[in-house]
Amino acid sequence: MRVAFVVQRYGLEVNGGAEIQCRWTAEHMSKYFEVEVLTTKACDYITWKDHYSVDEELINGIKVRRFPVARTRRPQRFGRIQDRLFRGAHSVSDELRWLEEEGPFSPSLIAFIKTSEAAYDYFVFFSYRYYHSYYGIHSVPRKSILVPTAEQDPIIKFQIFKELFHKPRAIVYDSIEERAMIQAVSGNGAVLSDLIGVGIEIPERYSGEAFRKKYEVGAPYILYLGRIDENKGCPRLFDYFRRYKQETGSEIRLVLAGSTVLDIPAHPDIIYLGFIGDEDKFNAFGGAELLVMPSFLESLSIVTLEAWAAGKPVLANALCGVLKGQCLRSNGGLFYETYPEFRETLTLLLRSPRLRHELGQNGRKYFTANYDWGIVENKYLALLDSLEKEKKT
Amino acid sequence: MSQENIKNSSDEPAVKIDYDNVDVARIMDGIKKKIASQAGRESVGPNKPGVPDSGPQPEPRSGIKGILVKIMAPFAPLIKLLVLPVYEEHRQTVMILDHANRRLARAQEYINLTHNLCHNLVVEITKLKIEVDLLETKVQIMEKDFEFLGKRERVLEQEVFK
Repeated sequence: MRVAFVVQRYGLEVNGGAEIQCRWTAEHMSKYFEVEVLTTKACDYITWKDHYSVDEELINGIKVRRFPVARTRRPQRFGRIQDRLFRGAHSVSDELRWLEEEGPFSPSLIAFIKTSEAAYDYFVFFSYRYYHSYYGIHSVPRKSILVPTAEQDPIIKFQIFKELFHKPRAIVYDSIEERAMIQAVSGNGAVLSDLIGVGIEIPERYSGEAFRKKYEVGAPYILYLGRIDENKGCPRLFDYFRRYKQETGSEIRLVLAGSTVLDIPAHPDIIYLGFIGDEDKFNAFGGAELLVMPSFLESLSIVTLEAWAAGKPVLANALCGVLKGQCLRSNGGLFYETYPEFRETLTLLLRSPRLRHELGQNGRKYFTANYDWGIVENKYLALLDSLEKEKKT
Repeated sequence: MSQENIKNSSDEPAVKIDYDNVDVARIMDGIKKKIASQAGRESVGPNKPGVPDSGPQPEPRSGIKGILVKIMAPFAPLIKLLVLPVYEEHRQTVMILDHANRRLARAQEYINLTHNLCHNLVVEITKLKIEVDLLETKVQIMEKDFEFLGKRERVLEQEVFK
């Protein structure tokens, strides 16, 4: 069997959630069948400017074919079009213009998918909202599997996407909330689907002590990992954390790691480390009291699963349905909507090491039961198996 | 069963945690109750240490003061008669101040409630605005669908009656 994974960006340095999910899944599934990745030459998701020069390369043993982006995204123009679509009446052709503007506009990638349909058994498209998924699925609907990685975003209600969710042979959802949202919007309950998500590789050994020593973090700390961005709820987290420190006089620190598009407030107890590698990431989990996840929009949150894999509890933003649902299902974390809830939940967690331990253990059990790589791989295999059976009948 | 009540002070409701069977939903309910009770207490307002008492407090008598009080005891009715108007005025002032403090506490409670109300209204209005926008979009899409179906119907009719 030969399967193509189609994604907007691909590379070891690309750290978007959907892109990482695609890379990890492609690498794991290459044990069972021939896997290729079809992607663009872009690395930056704001402009989609061509970054990689080679057309073909091997990344961790996976053949990657790259196609140029014919027109980079003009963020201001894109913002104006999107704003107009949200504000008033619009047609399907307006939505298609929005999609082209959003990109990554790579007609050569779509042309390749069309002409190579016979060469692959299945095309797995990641991220429903981009050009490659919409036109790719329309080019090879009978061979396509969609991994939507959808968030509670108003664009999901666009007419073009309602129709798109009916097109693929199968859909792989990341969470119960994502499935419920897509099915409510599009009524695509009849399309074959499964709840799979993504697995996590946990290093055999990681040390909180090593992290504390390397980054000179003495006091206990709570950890935020990921892009430091307004959409991720970081300004609200900074505000809440400063108020918490002022009101309670707690010695807790907030350690941030990841790329940033925001100015991080100057506060002696807010420590920004920049982007850190996998080893440091798990060491950071090892030393942390808990992971704080202030994001409003998530389809899965890999970092939350990583925290649970490391046996750490999570304090999540309850305004994100996926995070709240995951916390309730796993019994692995608390959540907050307002500042008083943030203060009380954080105080409770910091005061009770036993509660942190129990929540962390529950999270680990939830992770092992649902997101262990063995389980994820078997679910993908079962899905492909049922598609094959369907094909034969 | 291993259970613990975690609380800040004796008059706050505790957050009950059953460590053998940690239930996040139950813990969150406990936290919400605790926050609600804190908000209630804050709106009533704590007893201010500056609130005046209804009258002068007797002091322990000792030493020279005790002797003087004994010497002056026969003149006490006369002194009371002379001091009465001042004492009465003092008592009335204390009462007025006490009433003013109560009114201030009520006003503070009212302001807190109004603030909460405004906050909740803003949240609800924002939600409604989003809902209205979504519904408008739905209506527009349906109108377009309807228009398209109408056109299609006319075309089909024309084809049929040709």
